[in-house]
Formats: sequence, C-alpha cells, structure tokens
Amino acid sequence: MTPKDLSKEHVALLRAAKAGSLNRRELMRRGIGLGLSATAIAGLISSYRPAPVAAQASPTAGTSPLAGQSIDMTILGIAGWPPSRLGVDMANELFKPYAKEQYGYDVNFSFEEAPFESLFQKAATSLQSGSAQYNIIISDSQWLGALAEPGWIVRLNDIIAENPELDIKFEEAAAIGYRIYPDGSDNIYGFPQEGDVIGLFVRQDLMSDQAERDAYKAANDGEDLPQNWDDWLEVDIDRYERIAKHFTRPDKNLYGTAMQWSKVYDYVSCYAYPFMFSNGGEAWDPATGQIEGIVNSEINIKGLERNKSFLQYAPPGATNYGIGEEVDVFTAGTVATCLQWSALGPQMANQKPGGAPDEVADPSKPVTPDKVLIVPPPGFKQEDGSLKRVYTLGGQPWVLNAFNDEAHQQVAIDFMKFWYLPETQLEFSKRGGDTAVIEVLDSPGYDDLQIHFRAYKYMMRENRSKDFWHDPNYAEMLAVQQEAWNGYMTDVVSDAKLALDYTACKQQEILYDAGRSDIAPSDICSDISL
Amino acid sequence: MAQTTYPAEAPASATPSAQTKRRLPLARALDESRFFPTILLGPILVFFIVWNVVPLLWLLGVSFYRYKVTAARPPQFVGFQNFLDIWKSTEIWGLLGRTLSFMVLTVGGATILGMVLGFLFWGSGRMPGRRLALTLLFTPMVLPPVAVGTFFRLIYDPIFGIANFFTEKLIGQRFDFLGSKDLAFGATIAVDVWMWTPFMILMTLAALGSVPKAELEAAEIDRLPWLKRIRYIILPNGKFILMLGILLRTIDSFKTTDLPYLMTNGGPGNKTEFVGLSLYRTGFEAFQMGDASSLAIITLLIAIAFASIYLYVLSYRETRAQLQ
Amino acid sequence: MTAHPWRQRLYHLLLWIVALLFFSPVLWIFMAAFKSGGEIVSPTPVFIFRPTMDNIIRVIQEPNFLDYLKMSFVLSIGSVLIAIVVSFLAAYSFSRYRPTGTNFIMFLLLSTRMVPASAVVLPIFLMYTVLGWSKTFHGMILFYAMFSIPFSLWILKGFLDGVSLRYDETALVNGGSRLHTMFRVVLPQVKPGLVAAFIFNILFVWNEFLFNYILGGQGTTMIPVLLATGVKQGGMTDWSFVASISLIYMLPPIIAIFFFQKYLLVGMTFGTVRGEV
Repeated sequence: MTPKDLSKEHVALLRAAKAGSLNRRELMRRGIGLGLSATAIAGLISSYRPAPVAAQASPTAGTSPLAGQSIDMTILGIAGWPPSRLGVDMANELFKPYAKEQYGYDVNFSFEEAPFESLFQKAATSLQSGSAQYNIIISDSQWLGALAEPGWIVRLNDIIAENPELDIKFEEAAAIGYRIYPDGSDNIYGFPQEGDVIGLFVRQDLMSDQAERDAYKAANDGEDLPQNWDDWLEVDIDRYERIAKHFTRPDKNLYGTAMQWSKVYDYVSCYAYPFMFSNGGEAWDPATGQIEGIVNSEINIKGLERNKSFLQYAPPGATNYGIGEEVDVFTAGTVATCLQWSALGPQMANQKPGGAPDEVADPSKPVTPDKVLIVPPPGFKQEDGSLKRVYTLGGQPWVLNAFNDEAHQQVAIDFMKFWYLPETQLEFSKRGGDTAVIEVLDSPGYDDLQIHFRAYKYMMRENRSKDFWHDPNYAEMLAVQQEAWNGYMTDVVSDAKLALDYTACKQQEILYDAGRSDIAPSDICSDISL
Repeated sequence: MAQTTYPAEAPASATPSAQTKRRLPLARALDESRFFPTILLGPILVFFIVWNVVPLLWLLGVSFYRYKVTAARPPQFVGFQNFLDIWKSTEIWGLLGRTLSFMVLTVGGATILGMVLGFLFWGSGRMPGRRLALTLLFTPMVLPPVAVGTFFRLIYDPIFGIANFFTEKLIGQRFDFLGSKDLAFGATIAVDVWMWTPFMILMTLAALGSVPKAELEAAEIDRLPWLKRIRYIILPNGKFILMLGILLRTIDSFKTTDLPYLMTNGGPGNKTEFVGLSLYRTGFEAFQMGDASSLAIITLLIAIAFASIYLYVLSYRETRAQLQ
Repeated sequence: MTAHPWRQRLYHLLLWIVALLFFSPVLWIFMAAFKSGGEIVSPTPVFIFRPTMDNIIRVIQEPNFLDYLKMSFVLSIGSVLIAIVVSFLAAYSFSRYRPTGTNFIMFLLLSTRMVPASAVVLPIFLMYTVLGWSKTFHGMILFYAMFSIPFSLWILKGFLDGVSLRYDETALVNGGSRLHTMFRVVLPQVKPGLVAAFIFNILFVWNEFLFNYILGGQGTTMIPVLLATGVKQGGMTDWSFVASISLIYMLPPIIAIFFFQKYLLVGMTFGTVRGEV
C-alpha cells in the first residue's frame, strides 16, 4: 500500500470514530455510573478522536472567500528560540496588513510557546484530542513521523499542486530534512521555517595573537593557526585537535573546544553523528528499517571514540553541555573554539539582536562580536585525500494542523504563500532567521547580512548536513541512544562498541515491535545491557 | 511551642438558642434525613470518582493494550503482555533498584537530619527572631522546582559553580558533580535532602509539640535519662506524625521526576534515571500508553505497599484513640 | 530553660547558622535576580556587585506576567477553599458517624497522591476533552481542588477526632440544627486545622507545573508554566529571568509561612495537640 492510500484509510477510520462519538459519550457517562469494566472505558476514551475536517485543500481563487471575516490563528512554537518568535512577530507585523490588502480579511496571530524538550507533548496531547487549538505548529524535524502517522498534520502534496506559489526550490538538505515522511518517499508534510546547521565558532582574537601563533608554530612543526575563512576550510579533524590541544590550559581556565555531549534531548547525538557521517557511517537504512550492523558499524565505533577524545580539550563538566551551556561557556571566554548551531550566531558573538553588527548585547561578558569568527566545522580526510564534511542538520519545519476548519486552513496556506515570498524571506534573514530558499541564499550580499550566514550557507549546501530518522518511534529510539552515548562519554559505559551495540539492539527492537521493520533484533541482543 | 487549647467540656456559650430561630426548610430536611452522613460524603465522592476512579480505570484498562498514541494502528488488546515485558526486561530491575536506593537515602537523610535539627529547634521558644529563622529554614520547600533544577546545574558547575568555588577554597579541588558517574547520584540526593529536610523538621516539631506536657514534666521530675524519654514518651506520642511525614516523603521520593529531569536528565548515562523519569519518557515522550500504564500500575502498587506499612503503624494510634 | 546566658546565646547562634545554611542556596538565587548576566555566569563567583533592578522590572513587564500571577492566586486560593469545604463535610461525617469503610475510603483517597503525575495527566486530559473542560477555568480549579482534598481530609479528620462529642450533643440537645452544630459549634474548634490545611495545600498548588501546562490554556496559566517556558531565551538559559521570577513568586509563600507559622506547626500535629497545657 502506498503511503497515500494509508492516509486515506486512516481518515476513513477517523470518520467512523467520529460517527460513533456521540454514542460513546453517552455510553461513557452511563459507563461510569454503572461501573462499567475498566477495559471498556479505556477503549472508549482511547478511540475517541474526531475526524480532521479539512484534511483536503480547499481551492483558492483570486478573491478570497474569507474576505470581510476576522480570524484568530494560533502558532505553537519553541519558547525562547528566536526564529520561532520571528515567525509570529512577522505574521502580526507584516502578514496582517498584507492579508487585509490582498485577501480582504482580518487576521490575528497569537503565540503559544513550549520549551524545546516538551513542545512535542504539548502538541501531541492537544492533537490527540482532535483539537484545532494550534493552527500552525513549529515542529522539530524528527517529529514529522510522529505527527504525520496518526493523521494529525496535513499532507501538503495536493496543496502544493494547487498553489504553485508554494512549489519553492529549497536547499536539498532542507527539502528532505524538514519535509519528507516516510524517509525516501515523496510525501511532503512540512515547510522549512528555520534552517540550521552546525558551525565552528572561533575566537579570532586568540587565533591572530602573535604570541599564540609563535607558540603554536614552535610546537607543531611550523604549522600556523588558521587565520581566516579559507584557512579554516582546509582544517581537518586532526589539525583541529592540535589547535584544541594548544589552547587547553586548565590553570588559566581556558580550553580548546566545546561540543554538546549532554544527555538532554538530542544533544550528544547531533554532535557525535558528524564523526560517523563524515567517514561514511550511517544511522540506519530507512528503506528496510535495518539498524543493527549499521549504527554499530566499525566506522561508527571509531567515530564515537574520536568524538569522546575531544573531551580532554573541553572544560570540566562538558558532558552536561547543551545549547545554553555552550553559549555561557563561549561568551564567558572560557573556550577558544566551539561547535554550535549556527542559528545562535548573534547570541554566541554577544551581538545585540537587531542592532549594528558590532553592538554588544551584554557588556558584562568578555566576548564581543569583533572577537568572533564563524566558519564551517572541521572536515574529515577521506582515502583520496579530500576533505569531507557531513554534519547533523538542525532547524525546524512549519506543519499545519489537520483539524483546522476550512477558514483557518485557508489562512494558514495564505500565510505560507506570504512567508515564502522572496521579500518576506529576505526580511526574515535580516532579522536573523536562516532561510532555506535557494533564491534568497543566492541573492547578492546575503553572506554579510548576519555574522553566521556564510558558514550557514556553506554547510547547508552539497549534502554537508543531513537529518536522521523521521520515524514515529523517534522519541524512544533517541532516548536509548542518548542514554548509551552519554553513558559512554561519562565512562558509565565501558566502551564505544558496547554503547553502539546496545543502541542498535534496542532501536531494532523498537522498530520491530512497532511493526515498522521486519528485521528482528539478532541473538546477541537478548542479554545486552549497559 | 505554641499550642491550641481544647476545653474538655463544651462551654455554655456553644449552646445555641436555636429554638427561637426560624429554620430553613433545607436545614429541617437535613435534620430529619437518615442519610445525613452519606449526604456529607456526596461531594467528596463525586471528586473521587471523577478525578481518581476514572483515570485509574483508564490506566488499568490501557495497561492491557498495546497502544501508542502517535501510531496509525489502533489499540490492540494484549492481556498481561506489557507486564510480562516489564518483568523480563533487564532495565527495570536496575531502574527499580536505583529508585529504591534514591528513596531510602533521600528519605533517610532528610528524616535523620530533620529529626536531629527538629530536636535542636525544640525549646528554642525564646530564641531572638525565631519566627524569621524558621521561615528562612522552610524556604527550600517553596522554591519552584524549575528554579531548583536550573540553578543547581549552575551551582554545581565545575567552572561557574559556587559549590566548586568553596571546594577549591577548602580542599583545593574542583568536582564535576553532575557529570561524573561517581558523584552525580550523590549530588542529586544532596539537593533532594536539602529541599525536604525542612519538611521533616516541621513534622518533627509538630510531633514533639503533640507530646503531652504533663508526661514530659513527670519525666523531668523523675530525672528520666534523655534516651529513655525519647523512647518511652516522645516516640509513642509523636510516632503518628513522624510516620506520616516519612510516608509522604517516601511516596513523593519514589516518584521523583522534576529534579533529575531538570538537573541531569537521568545522566550521566543512566546513573540518575528513576522510575518517575522513565514513566515520563514512556508516557509523555514516546506516547506508549500501554507500557506507561503498566509501569504506572506497578508504581502505584509499590506506593500502596508503603502506605499499608504506614497504616499498620497507624492502627496502633487508632486503638489508643479509642481507649481515651 | 535556665541555662547560662552565654550557653543559651551560643545555642541560639547555632540555630541561626543552621537556618541560614539552609537558606543560603535560595539567597544565592535571589542575589542573581539583582546581577547582570556576566556576574551570574562568572568563573569566579561574584559576591559584591552593584544591584540592578532591570531584571525584576523586565519580568514584571513580561506581557503575561501579571495575569499569570493573578491566576496563581485565584487558582491556589480558590481550589484549596473548595477542597476544604468538601473535606470538612466528609471529615465531619467520618469523624462523627464513622460510616462503614471509613478507614478504607480515607486510604483510597490518599492514593490520589500516590499515582505519579505523569501517569494520570493523559487520562485526565482525554477525559477533559470529552467533557469539554480542557483549558477551562472550572476544569483547572476543580482539578486542583481534588489535588488538595486528601491532605485536607486527613488533617481535618484528625482535628475533628480531637473535638469532644459533647459539643455536638450539647448543641443538638439544645435544639440546634445539624448544620448549626457543624458550622457554628464544631467548625470554630478546628480553626487551626483549617488554616494548616489551607497553607499546606496552597504550597503544593502554588508550584504545580505539569497539569497546568497540559490542561491549562491562555486564561488559566500560572507562573510555574511561564517560568518553565521562559527558562531559555535566545537558546541559552536566562538565569536572571529564573532568579527574578523565583524571587517574586516566593515572596507570598514566605510571607504566609512567616505569619501563619504557628498554624503550620499545629496543623501538622493532626489535631493530636489537645487538652491540658
């Protein structure tokens, strides 16, 4: 069965549930009174799920049928994440007058926010009850499967077919990472809201310090510290290690590097994968759901070990580093370089949002924008001598609630059309958002709009960034992996092989049990534990 | 300590001059109703059924299903399979063991510390600023959990943390409290003990306050040694309140979620991964409602077991109350 | 106590040190509310600094802060009041008429406290959706009332057991109605219990996060949710935000503990403090 048939069948199923829902409510009331059996009540509540009203796109004409109406939209987004905030601010500031003029209706956007780690719960509990409370959701890319599978979000293929304006050329990494579920299919579920990649944040003032350069040269057979973008492009992981080592001086409270090794959410995974991907390792085979033998391959074991070796050049406590801790440690001047999401460019450089490029946000911190250079992260030497970078993709897509009524869905679509107008995307970029639209990325002067744009564009292109699973079992697979990998980083798990074998076994079991893969975990899995 | 007086006899002022008052029909109906005791229980039963029985039955029901909210396939009845899976899995025993040791250590720590400090504060009636001192002492209890989790990460941080500032000053060494596999468990316990020792101090003070003054005075006159006073006078009288404090802490500690979630997220590795956290992940991150419900039922049964032990102790007090 | 004055002074000093020791982490958080970002996250802890009010002003000016704070008060006080009325009725029945199964029901009610919150939030959410109560004010306040009932019931039953039956008898013999007996004669005798149950439960509702986050909506959100969603700003932890909100939000409970301390202590005795002093 094709995924399209599947989703049709699903809608039919939901409709049937809806037809019986009145009865069920009545039944439930009586059921409680009569002390009906527990399983019955459980079955009733769990199957209560209204049908999506407007799963199919409504046709758009030149003049909107909504003209004259006033509509309230709610966007659910990530709390304290500037790009999410930008989406809503721009919706109210710019789309509101645009909609009034273009379509003749009044629209008001409100923003509900939830922290990164718990946004999915907020969205899922609401969607599970068939609620159209959040009309548009800024999801994390890996949640696409979990949102699409139960029929909670709209499959966009038909909408895009009917609205050619939405058929936009995105960078390939974004076009796949923020849109497609299941992996490898052509089902589109999301629009890229914020693109994001891993960048290398460098303290330029340290790198160009003459004394540092001399000391480094003396210790490394005349090799110099990288001074600019072009130098950094040539840096491979071995040279990066030498640089990190050079700057590691615990007695001076200075360290060579920081990456994310924390167990929280996807932190350690996102920063360990590049050490595997760049050498040809993979997370899984999306077509068959094969994990064993892939995630615990020799390449990946070596990669994980290599990643851990950088802990010796990182500040103590780095195994708890996530996004925020890295900003703190970098802006406090404690590390010379730092691998971090490029979207945090302004924050990492202590740059005032919306201010001049060299305006300092927090004067009480030692690092200022002029001291920071953002470049592509180190490459990995291949057998033919070339350098390869395959890092993890960050960023978030917009998705549309399948329970939206026709009017709200129409506004959501109109908003998407507005969002991808080149002017809007340019404005988004000027305010610090990372676009994934090729045309905008190619526009002259783009690289200089923000401190991190040049590195962002470089890493977004030519498959230098990629996402991992979009499976609905994402959360469980990730939890197992985070526990094992962070365990390895903190010596709770003795070696990388065990950490990856455990990951492979558990993930294979999760997919097999859920019926997502026909491949059962192998025999060695029966008694593996951390 | 402050005590409230209950007169043994009802004072005459409590007698109403009700004959002269005109009675409302409702009051008359109630006076004549044989069901008065049941009517009084009505509201609480409604609350109990709607917010307790229904969710519990739901939990029980779903625990027999394979039911993932974020999957397209409908819930499937699997009998006791979820419980069997938990029984057979290798992680659950580690999880339960870790949770139990966390519980024993935090409750034990807070109880012992709380009792010692409670005794210390007993008889501090004339201490200058006692009320303010006790208020400050109780503040850890009312700190929002998010603030505790977030700020203790900073306090424990090897670079920015004030805890390490002091360890370096005192013993010349810095520790990665939350990142080290040997320290994280202890560091988490320390925060929990810090938060809840004040509660046990409160309970100890209440327990000591409930000891009849007459018995204490008699002991004073008899010059009974302190250990014997504790054993024969204070513990028998204060046992109920202390046990209740311990029970409440035991239950809460067994299902601790906030603190490890915010402070270590169960790490390093799985060193601070407890039942509450695992339940949260299964139910609220993976949305595996079947697995989560069966784990919740097991947790509930364990909590009921603790409470039963407590009830056993309570029955002692009931008999004493009836004798009076 | 008739110890030497200096020994007593030493003893009091020791007690003060203990209290301050427990308070010190809280104080450290409070201090952060008056620091700038670089002073909070600094490799050497900053003890002396020029206090700034910017953080607190910024928090108060947060668009929803005052609404949420109001909701914290309304929901905490309202729900606990409902809980106390309901619990008092039940406790009176349990204490005076001892219907069969009293102990069992009391025990069952305590089991509400035993189920891990993350396990029941989904069933309750789904039930609320079916009933249309999710995001509503009454849905939230009634839920918190349930949250507060078991403990109130236990405290009040303890206190009622300590009130002599002669009160009831005298009142009834003199022709008082049952309601009069309950509310006018017996109720005043358990005032400390009422206050204790009130304070104690408020402390629990005041800081509750998960249910408010999942069941609450725009009009029913309390400060802990704002705190949790505002922790991160620009991808990093907003320390001064957490510190400032904690400071403001802890003041009411701290003031309550200061003024009602007597009741808090007496309340925890569950009515066993009685008779001869």
